[in-house]
Amino acid sequence: MKITIHEVAQYLNLHVSTVERWIRQGRIPIQKTGNGYLFNESALKKWAALYRLPFLIPEKVKSRGYEEKLENLLAAMKRGGVVYDIKGDDVETALKSAVENMPVLSKTSKKELYQLLLERERLTSTGIGKGVAIPHPRDPLSDALKSPIISTCFLEKPIDFGAVDDRPVFVMFILLSQSIKIHLHLLSRFSFCARDNSFVEFLKTSPDEASFFAKIADFEKQLDRAET
Amino acid sequence: MRIFQSWRFPANWTIFRLDDRLLLILVAIIVGSCSGLASVVLNRSLMLMFDWFHHLRHYWWIFVLPAIGAALSSLFLEKIVKEGAGHGVPEVIYSVSRYGGLLRFRSSFSRLISSALTIGSGGSAGPEAPVVISGAAIGSNIAKYFSLNDRQRVTLVGCGAAGAISSIFNAPIAGMVFAIEVIIGEWKSVNIVPIAIASVAGTEISRILQGNQIPFSHRLFNISHMDILACVGLAVLTAVASILLTRLLRSMDKIAKKLPAPLWIRAAIGGCAVGLIGLFLPEVLGKGYHVVQTTIEGAFSQGLVIVGVATIAKIVATALTLGWGGSGGIFAPCLVIGCLAGLTYHHGLALLWPSVTWVNQGCFALLGMAGLISGMLQAPLTGIFLIVEITGGYEVILPLIIVSAITTSLCHYIEPAAYYMKELVDYGHLLRPGTDARVLSDLNVSELVEKDCIAVTQNMLLRDFINIVKKSHRNYFPVENEETGHFMGIIHLDDIRQYLFNPVMYDTVFLGQIMNTKVEVIDPDDDLADVIRKMDANRLFSMPVVVNNRFIGLISKGHLLDQYRRELMVQTSQSI
Amino acid sequence: MNHQLLHIFRNSSLGRETLLQSIYFSKQTKVSPVIYIPKSNKFLMYFENDVVQIDLDNSYLMFPDTALEHATELLEQAGVEPRFLDPKHYTASTLPDIHTNFDYMSCPRSIVDLSSKIGLGYIGPRVRRIVKSAQFPVLITSPVYKKWESIAVFFGGSVNAFNALKLGFRICRISGMPLDVFTLLENKSQESYEKLIKEENLETEMSHYVNNWHFLKNRTLEENLYDVPHNALVVLGAYGHHLLKDIVFGSKMEKIQSTISNNLLIVGPNYTAAI
Repeated sequence: MKITIHEVAQYLNLHVSTVERWIRQGRIPIQKTGNGYLFNESALKKWAALYRLPFLIPEKVKSRGYEEKLENLLAAMKRGGVVYDIKGDDVETALKSAVENMPVLSKTSKKELYQLLLERERLTSTGIGKGVAIPHPRDPLSDALKSPIISTCFLEKPIDFGAVDDRPVFVMFILLSQSIKIHLHLLSRFSFCARDNSFVEFLKTSPDEASFFAKIADFEKQLDRAET
Repeated sequence: MRIFQSWRFPANWTIFRLDDRLLLILVAIIVGSCSGLASVVLNRSLMLMFDWFHHLRHYWWIFVLPAIGAALSSLFLEKIVKEGAGHGVPEVIYSVSRYGGLLRFRSSFSRLISSALTIGSGGSAGPEAPVVISGAAIGSNIAKYFSLNDRQRVTLVGCGAAGAISSIFNAPIAGMVFAIEVIIGEWKSVNIVPIAIASVAGTEISRILQGNQIPFSHRLFNISHMDILACVGLAVLTAVASILLTRLLRSMDKIAKKLPAPLWIRAAIGGCAVGLIGLFLPEVLGKGYHVVQTTIEGAFSQGLVIVGVATIAKIVATALTLGWGGSGGIFAPCLVIGCLAGLTYHHGLALLWPSVTWVNQGCFALLGMAGLISGMLQAPLTGIFLIVEITGGYEVILPLIIVSAITTSLCHYIEPAAYYMKELVDYGHLLRPGTDARVLSDLNVSELVEKDCIAVTQNMLLRDFINIVKKSHRNYFPVENEETGHFMGIIHLDDIRQYLFNPVMYDTVFLGQIMNTKVEVIDPDDDLADVIRKMDANRLFSMPVVVNNRFIGLISKGHLLDQYRRELMVQTSQSI
Repeated sequence: MNHQLLHIFRNSSLGRETLLQSIYFSKQTKVSPVIYIPKSNKFLMYFENDVVQIDLDNSYLMFPDTALEHATELLEQAGVEPRFLDPKHYTASTLPDIHTNFDYMSCPRSIVDLSSKIGLGYIGPRVRRIVKSAQFPVLITSPVYKKWESIAVFFGGSVNAFNALKLGFRICRISGMPLDVFTLLENKSQESYEKLIKEENLETEMSHYVNNWHFLKNRTLEENLYDVPHNALVVLGAYGHHLLKDIVFGSKMEKIQSTISNNLLIVGPNYTAAI
């Protein structure tokens, strides 16, 4: 593989002018010939090891960067689906029936999820006020999901969730993600929506899936605009 | 035609794909031979001039001869080759420190001619420094021709210096040690091997052309324990003499600079004064090796007073010659002064304790020479090896080491920088490999600038700014003028921390109100040492780099340390 | 970006012409001029593999009291912020070292000799050394201040010529002036040159930037050079295919510089161009 002097600088995590100076000073096994440079990669690797300099081929760096690409609400919500008329008189039963109705998950993981959600509710309520709750496990699920999901569950009747403003909760967004980072990312995006009173009013009408997703897409656009 | 073309581009020869060490050794042979040749040429021309002028010595007007020589040499340097004055060794060390040993081609012959004029006409100076710079310049230009890199070029400059000293004294070890101890300042096998080879080549050239003669052969000395004890006293005397010489050289230089006259007139005045001294004490003229020879043989029969006066006179004459603009080195005068000082000391001892049988006066002369060389150069090893080699006497090694060591330490105590280094140290140009100063001078601002800062404008609201903060990786944000793009100030995250959670402030505060406008900025051409000094003085962690009122990037200490460490690792590793 | 042009100021009427020329060039190519007012008649330039001592004649040192004032005045008239170079290091404590990481340097045709030789047909030996060692192109100014409104690149197919061509593209891109390429057809055909361009993958740039590619077919070079517009900045490589590359400049280059009085931008062998 032919690599350029710029790539060498990148592998060594140095400025190009540093590499050029080292070549001039004869500190690195690269020779200058007229307009070009002459070197071979294995000799450079050896040299770097000798001087204990880092020599990283950037493929690894790139793949890690890809992995950490953060997803948006809409995709996760579509994956999680929207369920209406969840039955239940208190937190436990409501969560139970909500988990039962969730798509994607297997039976055992549903059971596990239910336990985790309850555990989390015991710490503090996930009711964030205005009748909205975001039940979620404290730590990511053990059989790691491939991508985050958010299930939107409209309750049959509002229940007391022990929310911060003591108002009964009428809708739950069950948020599952494979890593804390994604969880925080989605949570922060969602809280932006939930802060909006008109959105809450809109939710109270138990909108159908299509108009709900359209509304979310709208918010996403606003968020993206604010970030750039 | 193809052969011719390849000859024009030696860097493309297959030999340069071979091992780096082998290549250096091969080129070192060439460099050593060339610089050896240069020193033989100078030596021969000095002998020739000595013969020409010798029979004129008894005329009264002879005292103008050194004046003419010095004036001519100054004119030559000033008008024909257009080089600065001075003996050249600091120039070599400077270029090795800062520019990878790049030297001008004209340096390879200019000092030879000018010093031949000065010394041949009777000026009190030595031919060694001129051959050192010639040899070094030859090495540098050969390296240039082969398009070698800085490290190799520096080694070849050392090879040139080693070849020159080896050849002029017929002393290979002294040449080698001088090149490493004084010129390069780095004991690594990559340097030592080619330099040793060059020393051998230089010496061999001199032996072929001039015969294998030891410059100052002597009889065997019987050194008793008393003599070794007496060495301590001699060391003190030589230390005093070297400091006297250093100070006098410098003050003469200052006096000469005050004189409102062209350089060549100054040189002529100095030469004239030397000529006048020479009328009464002919020993002070020229490089004066015959004095050394007669003393070591024990044939210098003058009394204490005369010898003492001669010592002082030689010091004054040397200061007059070199301080007023003559061209030459201090090596030979040091040897003569040391020799005379040793003789004075011997006479003094004999006067104080007439009952004790001291070793022959030649031995003290020898030790005095070592003392002065070590004291002036503050290079004890060079002093020791040089004296051992040029006298061919190994039996004096013990007192030699004692005198060298004591003189070096004493001189170092009073004059912290050696004569060659003084100017370089004063201006911060002495950058030995692997030292802090060298690492900092090698790195430069443009290599360290971090450019991933997000610029903001002064009319931006705090709310918009907070959105930028969310995306940024840095704590510093440069503020630029919207229209001109000029740098106005900088905002640190700390500046807004207190307003960060107060949404009322979001839409009421403009960045122009928060930013720091009194920031110290860096120019990309600034020396890194200055940058760090500024950072330390103001307790800053980062500083903005600004050119033409435009923000370029940030310099931060964290990144600096990272680069500094890499640079140090690459510079000091012993494995290459 | 911070691109710089080094200009050595001569405080005389001739020096004013060259400075005006430098300022014009800087403004067109968006670089900032850095002025060095010499304090002694020699200085050193340390290049990558060479050190060049520049011996100036005394006209550079004339009227040192007004030099700074004059240079500042000219720069300010042109609306350029005056920047002066102050040498930090000195070789042998008397020779200023001028660093060499500039992007351009401006020289009169000769910086050693008196004005009698500043005319055409002669490029001083120091200027040659600078061109040979420099990593930047050297702007050789016309004897009097002359605005250029187009760019003419001489392209002969050598490595240097490619660098010159790329530099031409670059100046064309920055300044927005029309670019013409001139090629002297000697024994080769037009197609062979077009093939060379193809091999270097410069076709798209060629069609994008170049106004016209002139193939000069006249017998002598002097005759051909009449076709070069009088108000063009001429960009050319210092050496062509000639054998004695390092010793003398290319024969074309010598002829061109002695025939036309345009501003020349000369690309040396150590310059590597980016478009």
